[in-house]
Amino acid sequence: MVREGYQPPTAGAGPRGSTHTGHEVRTQMTYICGDCGSRVSLAKDAAVACNQCMGRVLYKERTKRMVQFEAR
Amino acid sequence: MAPAATETEWNHEYNTLRRENLFRNPPKDHSAYPALQLAVNPHIESFDRLFRDDGKPGLIAHGLADIGTKTYLDGDERAAPDGKNVLTIRIKDVNLQKPQLPPSNKKAKRREILPAECRERHASYRGRLSATLEYRINGGDPVEFSRDLGLVPIMLKSNRCHLQNNSPSQLVENKEESEELGGYFIVNGNEKIIRMLQLNKRNFPMAIYRPSFQNRGLGYTPYGIIMRSVRPDETSQTNVLHYLSDGNMTFRFSWRKAEYLVPVMMILKALVDTNDREIYEGLIGPAGSKSTENTFMTDRVELLLRTYKTHQLYTKSETRAFLGEKFRPVLGVPENMDNYEVGTEFLRRVVLVHLGNVDVTPEQNNDKFSMLLFMMRKLYALVAGECAVDNPDAIQHQEILLGGFLYGQILKERLDEYLGVNVRAVLRDYFRRNPAVSFTSEDFKKDFPNKIFQKTSENVGNALEYFLSTGNLTSPSGLDLQQTAGFTVVAEKLNFLRFISHFRMVHRGAFFAQLKTTAVRKLLPESWGFMCPVHTPDGAPCGLLNHLAHKCKIMTDSIDVSKLAGLAAEMGLSSVSEASTAVSVPVALDGKLLGFCSPKEALRIADCFRYWKVEGTHGVPLHLEVGYVPPSNGGSYPGVYMTSTPARMVRPVKYLPLQKEDYVGPYEQPHMSIAVVPQEIESGRSTHVEFSPTNMLSILANMTPFSNFNQSPRNMYQCQMGKQTMGTPGTAIAHRTDNKSYRIQTGQTPIVRAPLHNTYGFDNFPNGMNAVVAVISYTGYDMDDAMILNKSAHERGFGHGTIYKTKKISLKDDSRTRVTKSVTKAFGFAPHSHIPASHQGMLDDDGLPHVGRLVSEGDIICAWHTVTPDYNGNLINLDGVTHYEKYKDSETGFVDEVRLIGAETGNEPLQSISLKLRVPRSPIIGDKFSSRHGQKGVCSQKWPAIDMPFSESGMQPDIIINPHAFPSRMTIGMFVESLAGKAGALHGLAQDSTPFKFDEKNTAGEYFGHQLMKAGYNYHGNEPMYSGITGEELGADIYVGLVYYQRLRHMVNDKYQVRTTGPVVPTTGQPIKGRKRGGGIRVGEMERDALLAHGTAFLLQDRLLNCSDYSKSWMCRRCGSFLSVQPTVSQFATGKKKAPQVVRCRGCATKLDDAEGIDLTEIQGEIWEDGQGNSWVGGDQTTQVVVPGALKFLDVELAAMGVKLKYRVGKADEPRKGPMRPIAVGA
Repeated sequence: MVREGYQPPTAGAGPRGSTHTGHEVRTQMTYICGDCGSRVSLAKDAAVACNQCMGRVLYKERTKRMVQFEAR
Repeated sequence: MAPAATETEWNHEYNTLRRENLFRNPPKDHSAYPALQLAVNPHIESFDRLFRDDGKPGLIAHGLADIGTKTYLDGDERAAPDGKNVLTIRIKDVNLQKPQLPPSNKKAKRREILPAECRERHASYRGRLSATLEYRINGGDPVEFSRDLGLVPIMLKSNRCHLQNNSPSQLVENKEESEELGGYFIVNGNEKIIRMLQLNKRNFPMAIYRPSFQNRGLGYTPYGIIMRSVRPDETSQTNVLHYLSDGNMTFRFSWRKAEYLVPVMMILKALVDTNDREIYEGLIGPAGSKSTENTFMTDRVELLLRTYKTHQLYTKSETRAFLGEKFRPVLGVPENMDNYEVGTEFLRRVVLVHLGNVDVTPEQNNDKFSMLLFMMRKLYALVAGECAVDNPDAIQHQEILLGGFLYGQILKERLDEYLGVNVRAVLRDYFRRNPAVSFTSEDFKKDFPNKIFQKTSENVGNALEYFLSTGNLTSPSGLDLQQTAGFTVVAEKLNFLRFISHFRMVHRGAFFAQLKTTAVRKLLPESWGFMCPVHTPDGAPCGLLNHLAHKCKIMTDSIDVSKLAGLAAEMGLSSVSEASTAVSVPVALDGKLLGFCSPKEALRIADCFRYWKVEGTHGVPLHLEVGYVPPSNGGSYPGVYMTSTPARMVRPVKYLPLQKEDYVGPYEQPHMSIAVVPQEIESGRSTHVEFSPTNMLSILANMTPFSNFNQSPRNMYQCQMGKQTMGTPGTAIAHRTDNKSYRIQTGQTPIVRAPLHNTYGFDNFPNGMNAVVAVISYTGYDMDDAMILNKSAHERGFGHGTIYKTKKISLKDDSRTRVTKSVTKAFGFAPHSHIPASHQGMLDDDGLPHVGRLVSEGDIICAWHTVTPDYNGNLINLDGVTHYEKYKDSETGFVDEVRLIGAETGNEPLQSISLKLRVPRSPIIGDKFSSRHGQKGVCSQKWPAIDMPFSESGMQPDIIINPHAFPSRMTIGMFVESLAGKAGALHGLAQDSTPFKFDEKNTAGEYFGHQLMKAGYNYHGNEPMYSGITGEELGADIYVGLVYYQRLRHMVNDKYQVRTTGPVVPTTGQPIKGRKRGGGIRVGEMERDALLAHGTAFLLQDRLLNCSDYSKSWMCRRCGSFLSVQPTVSQFATGKKKAPQVVRCRGCATKLDDAEGIDLTEIQGEIWEDGQGNSWVGGDQTTQVVVPGALKFLDVELAAMGVKLKYRVGKADEPRKGPMRPIAVGA
């Protein structure tokens, strides 16, 4: 299957794939609280809750990567 | 200055600025569309009645009174009750909280759980139910304790919901629609509603002729009187009187799904202290009255009284004790109750429960007695042919079971079970374990509430959640209902019309769906104004699934009728009556006889009550139903039957004498004269007039413009298609997680609409687009309900839609019986695992897809790995394997939202996500569209704009439809809409399309034709047009106008099914079924016939063999069998190299090892070897043929039964035909 999306070269990911090393500190992902709208950073395995309001639904942010599709 | 209250009156105009303001600044006081809320209110109000806040007892409180006190004895079960200690226990109060976070979540400040969160988290919106129980031991001091009964789903906008009385602005703040209506439940993120059910009218003795009654036993006749008697807690108990051919009567009821028959005399004698004379005179009339000459009745009553003598029960106490003895095992009463008390309990629980259900007084028993006498009298009248049967299928004798009431009934029954069954079980268990303990001992005191109750299954909430999510009723009593499944439906928010229709939907009952007779489905004139005649689906549920007329209201509370009995008595009622309806007719209120009067007086009473109730004086409430049935020759049993109870329908009409609003009910309506339009009023006859003739239509049917011009089935089709339109489900789409949701991108407000369109605020939920429609046969592509779409219109966004799909991915085991709460899986890549580059680009570091990504079939959408807690409690991965979830749908979509769902407790790591995908769906060939007149069509071609025909002013149609769509369907309304739309567009007007506005004298064509003329267009709406291809003027003028078009949700992309080869059924080798699995469409017998008739044999072979179960198989020419052949095994071929396959028949070959003394040198033919190493010779007449795989399958199946099939491959293989020889018989 031909992938249409533009694939930006991700650092560290060679063409043959890579190995996730546990020692490298995973970048903390930031999410948006569904309740109060504040940005929440969650570490791996952290409880899912907003730090401010304990909101229980978090949204993923729109990606910062370039997203480009073939226009047809 | 306080801002002015939000205006709620609407006309048919666009009101663009007003609507924009409403949208930008949601009102802070109340909704601008109160009519919408009114449409849903019966659901909410019925739920509110369970637990009332206004100080009156709620339905549950009434139910608890009916459940009463349960009594338990200690000691040996087999021993007599004397001398045992008595424990009495009752539920004192039940309390339901609003949805809140559990106490285990300590950090959150805002404790309430809002419905939007439940939708987003795919959770249930429910509150905690707790009960206060009270027990006494040996009648000592009462001791209270309370128990938690689990979480109960709560109806939105009810008095247990956080959204109750929220203003639109608050609702928007709470992530709801500004016009959120409530009335449904949220169960596992789905919106569920309990649908309304049509039931028999309560507390009314209905005369029934049902031939199946005869099957009950010897002597039973088809005649009966059915009384559905309803308790104050809205649970019901049906009592039936059967007429036996000898004149006797039996009383039938069902208790816990079993039926019981009791002689009616026994019930009469048990209710009050009476004698035969009283019963005789109560039925026929006082001695000397005219009715005593009615020998039909006197004979039968005499027989009734004489037959009863065999029981030899004379007094009330004797009879009650007898009944008590017989029904003791059935009723489940405590052992220490004596027979008389059990008999009293029987009467309380079973007989005419609406007249006294708790602490029954002697007066109430008197009421029951006289009602029972009246029922008998009506039954005799029915048998004698003096009165007609009541039609149970007519809305006249029906009422509506509301969702909240059913919910309350289930809750009550669960509580009853809890107290009666669960508590009994744990107590028995306790005494089995500790036989020495008694109720009075210290040990028991220590253990009693808490330790013992721990063992009861207390989750009442789960039972209700199960009911809502499946719609199945699990009940020991059956709740006096005729069905056990299908009580709930998902309130799909496909578009707003569909959503709102769910709340107006009334079902006749699943039982009637299987009925072969169509009588129940009939549209009866009684339904006028209560059920919409247009809005019912066609097909299986036709006439069973109805919708309420838009002005029809359902009462949810009883009204104050305390003054009525006194008023009626003042007007001259007597307690003495005669059987003849010419002399005395009954006056009843809610199934209680107030007295009897002459037919003339009855009319006066009814008229006075009517006047007072509209006037609002004398304490007669406006919503009272005064059912006056006039005397007739063999018609319905006359009388005045007043009703004040909830669950009945009412509708507003204008009362002429006072020119004021009156509410009429379905029972009284057939006997009233209500003019539809003011011109129809007959002086001295009509008492009422409709406010508008459109009041008889449902909300949806009112949205069809000029529906009175259409042939009626077309309006029905539109009601169906309006609900299948790809529309706008709402404005809070971002906070919704429907499995599938449709949305139109370029919705418009219709130019042609009724004022009700605005009253119901449908401009907030646009459902289609105004399109320039030319009715012309232009190309071959617009034949047969196909339509041509202007390509440029399409490119401008005409009909562009989107589908949102939500997928929940949970790492937790979703099974209900989840015991382990530990976390075993986590999202993200496993450390040290190898991850292909392609996968890494698809997901973020957290193992979730990034928002905005395109996903197509086979892509991964998330990654997870297993984890185990280490000694620090940290979760670590041990195996280093990353698992992926794949996107399985064939259509590409974009990731729109990724939701991380946290636990209610707020201390769990990520275990489930919800992924919302957006699939753009621009209209393509094969997509379905329809106008609002039941005229659906499929887009057959997107025609280039340059080739479209154009008018003198250069206008091109957006849509071309074929003129043949009209003659047979007679949708004149569509022509009128086209005309009105055109005129409206030219003048910038919104056109009022209310049906019944035009008539023969001032026609719609004239009205809109003149508007068109003023704009410089042809009066008739025709225009000269020019061919887009040649530029020549077309021979005829073309009818062009503006019609509102809906895009339906049926799209080819969800339907197309093609295959040449693919998955097959293993046994036959034929293609599998089902689009989802890549199966084929069956070429059936009729298709085969068509292909044969066309002479396309080659095509037929291709379909039936080559693309199906084509299989090349070996067979033996000599023995003509598929089953005896086998491949040979070469001695010399090595494993890798495939020697050319040689197949031999084992049946025709000779095994060399067995044949002794064969000289190998003399053998003709090749020696071959089978898999076991045996050598064979012969059997070489094998050949390969092509046969259907199913044939071989058949051969094998037949062989298994001992039937051999022999095939002749060529002419030469035919057996030689010789002369017939006789077979030796006998031997």
